[in-house]
Amino acid sequence: MTSIGTGYDLSNSVFSPDGRNFQVEYAVKAVENGGTAIGIRCKDGVVLAVEKIITSKLLKPGANKRIATVDRHVGIVSAGLVPDGRHFVSRARDEASSWRGVYKGPIPVSALSNRLGSYVQAYTLYSSVRPFGVTAIVGGWDSEAELAVDGQVGTGPNAGSGGKVEGAKAGGPGLYMIEPSGLYWGYYGAATGKGRQAAKAELEKLDLGSENLSLLDAVKEAARIIYVAHEDSKDKEFELEMSWISSLDGPTKGRHEEVPKELLEEAEKAAKRALEGEDEEEDEGTKSNEGERMQE
Amino acid sequence: MNHFPELWGRPRDDVYGPYNSSYLKSTGPKTHTQSPAVTGTSVVAVKFNGGVAIAADNLASYGSLSRFTDVKRLRVFGESAVVGFSGDVSDMQYIDRLLESIDIRENYSTHGNLLNAKNLHTYLSKVFYKRRSDFNPLWNHILVAGFDGDKKPFLSSADLLGTTYSGPHLATGFGAHLAVPILRRLFPEEKPIEEITKEDAVSALRECLKVLWYRDARSLDKYSIAIITEDGVELNEDQKLEEQSWAFAESIKGYGAQVV
Amino acid sequence: MMSAMGHQSQNGTIGYSFGTPTTAPHKEHSFYPYTDNGGSTLGITGEDFAILAGDTRSVAGYNINSRYSPKVFKIGGEDDTGENAHIILSVVGFAADGHALKERLDAIVKMYKYQHGKPMSVRACAQRLSTILYSKRFFPYYVTAILAGLDEEGKGALYSYDPVGSYEREQCRAAGSAASLIMPFLDNQVSFKNQYIPGSGEGHDLQAKKKELLPMGTVEHLVKDAFTSAVERHIEVGDGLQMMVITKSGIEEKYFPLKQD
Repeated sequence: MTSIGTGYDLSNSVFSPDGRNFQVEYAVKAVENGGTAIGIRCKDGVVLAVEKIITSKLLKPGANKRIATVDRHVGIVSAGLVPDGRHFVSRARDEASSWRGVYKGPIPVSALSNRLGSYVQAYTLYSSVRPFGVTAIVGGWDSEAELAVDGQVGTGPNAGSGGKVEGAKAGGPGLYMIEPSGLYWGYYGAATGKGRQAAKAELEKLDLGSENLSLLDAVKEAARIIYVAHEDSKDKEFELEMSWISSLDGPTKGRHEEVPKELLEEAEKAAKRALEGEDEEEDEGTKSNEGERMQE
Repeated sequence: MNHFPELWGRPRDDVYGPYNSSYLKSTGPKTHTQSPAVTGTSVVAVKFNGGVAIAADNLASYGSLSRFTDVKRLRVFGESAVVGFSGDVSDMQYIDRLLESIDIRENYSTHGNLLNAKNLHTYLSKVFYKRRSDFNPLWNHILVAGFDGDKKPFLSSADLLGTTYSGPHLATGFGAHLAVPILRRLFPEEKPIEEITKEDAVSALRECLKVLWYRDARSLDKYSIAIITEDGVELNEDQKLEEQSWAFAESIKGYGAQVV
Repeated sequence: MMSAMGHQSQNGTIGYSFGTPTTAPHKEHSFYPYTDNGGSTLGITGEDFAILAGDTRSVAGYNINSRYSPKVFKIGGEDDTGENAHIILSVVGFAADGHALKERLDAIVKMYKYQHGKPMSVRACAQRLSTILYSKRFFPYYVTAILAGLDEEGKGALYSYDPVGSYEREQCRAAGSAASLIMPFLDNQVSFKNQYIPGSGEGHDLQAKKKELLPMGTVEHLVKDAFTSAVERHIEVGDGLQMMVITKSGIEEKYFPLKQD
C-alpha cells in the first residue's frame, strides 16, 4: 500500500499527488469483504440476490432482510457495511417520495440511480464525513403502461389534444450499480461483494445483452451464481435472499417483491445440483490427472 | 418615453388609467379555503353479511355546472378498505395521495400493510380534525368501508370538522336525506347484518342511487360501486343506472300553473 | 349635523375617519369550525357510587347521524376496552371536540399512572380537565363535560364543567340539549327542591325535606325516567341510553333502548 505513511489517506476530500482519494479506496475494501450481491436484468424483469453469511446461530432464519423496497417498483441490495446500506435505502425512499411529491408518479429507476449517485458522491467531498462503505445494486421496473397521475380522478380525453398516443413505448427494466465514489453505471448483470469476480464471470457467460434469458430462468441463474460465488468461503454458512420485479403482465405486476418461497427453494435446489455436477466433473478431471501422473 | 425603465413596456397610465394592483394583496391575514370548488355529491354504503358495499356516482360539479362526468370517488386502500369521498375533489386528490404515501411506507416494513379500514378511519378523522382546528379544512365528508381488527365489517363516517359516527348503513350529502330513509326501511337497525346478503346490499345501493339521480340535481346516472369482502375489493367504476328517464314527467298534468 | 348624518347613512354605521373595509358584504360559505351533535348527559352521585349517563343519538340539524354514538367514556383504562379505569367522563356538544378532549384526558391519566406508579385521583383529574379546557380558552372545546369517580374517601364524586374549564363538584348535573328539561326534575327529585315535610308548618314556616343521598336503585330509576321524559320533549334526544355506574368494585356499563322517533 503506497498510501500508508504518506498522510494522504487520513482525510476524506484530500487527493494524493497522483490523483487518488484513498478514503474512497478504503471504502471499496469494506465492500470487498461483504457478502456477494448480484442483479440480473432481463427483458421481462430484474432479479436481485444476496449471499447472507450467517454470523451467529442465534439469528432467526429468514429475518434481517438485506434487500429493501423503494417506492413499489424498485429494489436495492448492497454489499459492505450493513448500516451504511440501510441509510442509503432510507435516502432512496426519501428521493422516491420527494419525486412523487413533485411529479405525482413513481420515480424512474434511472432518475433514482442518478440522485443516489450524486448523494454518494457528495460524501467524497468533505473532510467531515466518510464515504459510503457500500456498493449498491438498484433494480427496478418502470411501468410500460400509461400511468395515471397520483390522485387522478378521471380518464381524460381519448383523442385530440391531451389524448392518448397510440403505440407509444415506455418503461422497462432498469439495473444500476452505485459505488462508494458515487460512480454508477447501468448493467445487464451486476455483482459486488466478496465473490464478485466469480459472479461476474458467471454473469458474462449468460449473454444478457441479447436479452434471451427469461425472468424465471434469471431467478435460477441468480441462485446458482450466489452458490458459485460462495465456493471460496465454503467454511461459512449462508442464507440466500432473492427478490424480483417483473413487467406489468408478469408475476409481480411491476412491483418489487420477495421471490416466493417455493420458487426460491426450487432455485436453491437447482443451484446445489448444478454445483454438485461441477464438482463431479472436477473430481473426474483430477482423478484422470492423477492417473496420468501415476502412470508417469 | 420616460426615464423610468421599470415603466417601459407597460400600459400607459394616461391612456389606460393607473394599474389596479389590488389583487396583489400582500398584507392582511393569511386566508385558507373558505368554500369548496369542484365537488362530488352523495356516497352511500351498507354493511352486509361478510362485508360492506359502497357506491358513489361519477360526477364532479363546479357549482351547478356538471363539470367532470368520469370522476372516480371511491378510492381503494390496501387489500380491503375503500374510502368514498363527497365534497371537494381537489381535497380528495390530496387525501388520495396522502393515502398512497402511507401505503408505500407501510409496505416497507417486513409485515406489509396491516392497516385496516378502522385504522384508516381513525387516521383520516384525525387529519380532518387537525385541519379544521388550523382553520384550513379539507372540505370533504367521507365514508370508510372495510373491516376492523376483529375482521368484522366496518363502516364509518368522517367529515371536514372531524366529526365521526358509524352505523349499519350510512350516506353523505343529499344521501343523508334521500338514501338513509330507504336503507332504514330495507334494513332496520335492529336487524342483524348477518341477515343481509351481498345481493340485497348491492340492489339497495342501486335503488338509492336511482332516487338520488331523480331528486339530487348534482348527481349522475354513471356510478362506481365497491364490494369489500374477505376476498378483497371488487371495484366497478363504469356502472350505469339503466333505463332511467324523466320522460314520464311530460304526462303529469294538473299541478302548478298548468291546469289542462 | 346634516353632513354627519349623510356620512353615517353612506357607511351604514358611525363615520370613521379611516377607510371603510373593502371586503365583500357577505360570503356564500365561510368556514365555521363547530357543529352541534345534540344529545344529553346526566350524572348523579350517591354515598359510595356515581352514575353517568347519556343518550346515544348523534344528530346534524334534523338528521340523525347515528343511533349509537356513545357520549360516556372510561378514562385511563388499560387498553381501548378501558379495563381497570376508575374515572368516567361524559361529553356533549360538538362530538369531534368531545372525542379529542376524551382522548387527551385519557392519555394524561394513563401517563400519570406510568410516571407516578399510582392511579390519578378524581380530584386531580378534575383539576387537570379544567386546565385542558382553559388552555383552549380562545378556541374552546365546544362541549359540556361531566367527570365522575370515587373520591379519596370512597364517596361518589361528580364534577361538572363549562366549555372553558369553569368547574365545581356537585351532587347531580344534567348537560346537553335537554339539560333545561332534566335539571329541574333533578333539582326536585335528587336535591328535594320545593319538597317540604307535610304538616310542618304554614307558608314560610314549612320545613324543607331533609337532604339525603339516594340509593343506587332509586338513582338508576331517576336516570331512566329523566331520559324517557326528555325523549318525549326533545327531538335531539333518543335512540338509546348508555349508563356507567362506578363503585369500588369497578365500572359497570349498561344500555337501555329509548324511543327512535
